[in-house]
Amino acid sequence: MATFELYRRSTIGMCLTETLDEMVSSSTLSPELAIQVLVQFDKSMTEALENQVKSKVSIKGHLHTYRFCDNVWTFILTEASFKNEETTEQVGKVKIVACDSKLLSQ
Amino acid sequence: MAEAAALEGSEPVDLAKHPSGIVPTLQNIVSTVNLDCKLDLKAIALQARNAEYNPKRFAAVIMRIREPKTTALIFASGKMVCTGAKSEQQSKLAARKYARIIQKLGFPAKFKDFKIQNIVGSCDVKFPIRLEGLAYSHGAFSSYEPELFPGLIYRMKQPKIVLLIFVSGKIVLTGAKVRDETYTAFENIYPVLTEFRKVQQ
Repeated sequence: MATFELYRRSTIGMCLTETLDEMVSSSTLSPELAIQVLVQFDKSMTEALENQVKSKVSIKGHLHTYRFCDNVWTFILTEASFKNEETTEQVGKVKIVACDSKLLSQ
Repeated sequence: MAEAAALEGSEPVDLAKHPSGIVPTLQNIVSTVNLDCKLDLKAIALQARNAEYNPKRFAAVIMRIREPKTTALIFASGKMVCTGAKSEQQSKLAARKYARIIQKLGFPAKFKDFKIQNIVGSCDVKFPIRLEGLAYSHGAFSSYEPELFPGLIYRMKQPKIVLLIFVSGKIVLTGAKVRDETYTAFENIYPVLTEFRKVQQ
């Protein structure tokens, strides 16, 4: 299965990368294995978001900037509100990076 | 913007130029310009804001600016199309802004052969029109097929302007290269419209 490396930049992805880096530099883990862990992370994130996350969030804000290049949309919103069933969260500025999941099945 | 407002607002209409007393409002201007240098569209899409580039669907970068609110199609050849402006000056200003953006990304963009390609105007004569009667008596210029499109398509020969005429009295004029063609076309058609004014039951 092909995957995006999109989630590596998330908090959990950054933490994992950092930990793997430390382990590689202290020679407790081979670089090859570290890469393999990251690839598995990509797969697991995609699968978890697809199958285990049921909640929906709507995001509304002022579109400050957008870009579409290499099949990736990038949006910068200002004064955005994140809404789900329970709460609403206001954010001054947010960047959204989105890929087309249909490309994975090709 | 101020100009359009003035035309629609209380500003007195020059009756010598607009005997009908109605001045069509310009809705869209399409212009082209040659930046006269080859462009790397992917580099532009990656660096510029508000750009879309999907070469599989369309071989140009689509870029937008907010002031004047316009859209540009930028091609690898260096040719550019600017749409959406409400006046000729705004269209030129917008085209200059796009050229400046391309320059700032490191391309030796020039500003060659700027040309207004099309002007679209619209207005409302504020009375209903018998399209069928108009189509019948102006058969050589008219195409009215309500099953296909609710408006009458009037291809005026002099000036060469296409008008969409709707029962409601709303008129769209397109095909002009200079705004006076739009104005002349409307003044030409206005007496015809009054002739085919629908008498309300």
